[in-house]
Amino acid sequence: MSSGRSSSRGNISEDEINELISKLQALLPSSRRRGSGQASTTKLLKETCSYIKSLHREVDDLSDRLSDLMSTMDHNSPGAEIIRSILRS
Amino acid sequence: MASTSSSTPAAEVEVEERCRKRKRAARAAEPAAPAQPSKWRTRREHEIYSSKLLEAIRVVRAGPSAAAGAAAPAPPRGRAVGEAADRELAVAARGRTHWSRAILASRRRRLQAAHRARLRAPASPPSRHDAAAASASAASASAAAAKGTATPPLARKAKVLGRLVPGCRKLSFPTLLAETTDYIAALQMQVRAMTALAEALSAVSATSSPGAGSSSSSSPL
Repeated sequence: MSSGRSSSRGNISEDEINELISKLQALLPSSRRRGSGQASTTKLLKETCSYIKSLHREVDDLSDRLSDLMSTMDHNSPGAEIIRSILRS
Repeated sequence: MASTSSSTPAAEVEVEERCRKRKRAARAAEPAAPAQPSKWRTRREHEIYSSKLLEAIRVVRAGPSAAAGAAAPAPPRGRAVGEAADRELAVAARGRTHWSRAILASRRRRLQAAHRARLRAPASPPSRHDAAAASASAASASAAAAKGTATPPLARKAKVLGRLVPGCRKLSFPTLLAETTDYIAALQMQVRAMTALAEALSAVSATSSPGAGSSSSSSPL
């Protein structure tokens, strides 16, 4: 558990920060390619920012696509049931 | 009144109570630990989110026509779906992270502002700007304080990050990191779920559009 020491005072140890950073790094797509050693924190933050932005863009694209698809589904009420069963399987 | 109408509100109350009990039990079962990013990878969360998203999208589809005519600044439908998706994501976080609370709070604020604008007169300045201005000034004041835990070039990046993750502009560096980790994991699940939904929808519409309609009321061409 990372929350060993509660951070109410604001005196965070360097280790805790490094642990958080490595957890964040594990999520980034680039970490798999590099076989990550110790990337500099600045680069990591920059990468995180661009990754979040690309995720946002992807969500926007998907939501546009979904709204288009939903409009064509208007006549098709059994379609929603099919969707749900597909999602569950 | 007829017995049916009196039983429905009672049934609703029962359902609400059951939901509340379930939520209370869930909250008691999981102690106040910070949301683990790994939870966004479980199949269960994915399924729950997908079905909620589907429902929300259907509501969105019916919404603009069902709501009071040409309602206030209604976002274009694409953005409405995105907002519904974000809201469901925030709900799935069960309010344990800053970003989820910020999403839900800002949405409520916007709805209230639109509601108020509709009641008074059109073209009133949205309170969103005031809220944004207030948080911006507060953020600049506390960003200087937050710099104590990070060296200056890092603080700049941290500020950008804080702007990207909703509701995280005033947080300390470690909290910001934790929030970001959870937010990214949640976004990844969101993308996965929406992609699956889009694939499923396009598959369904592809197979059903060539008029193979066994539905009850097919539109006459």
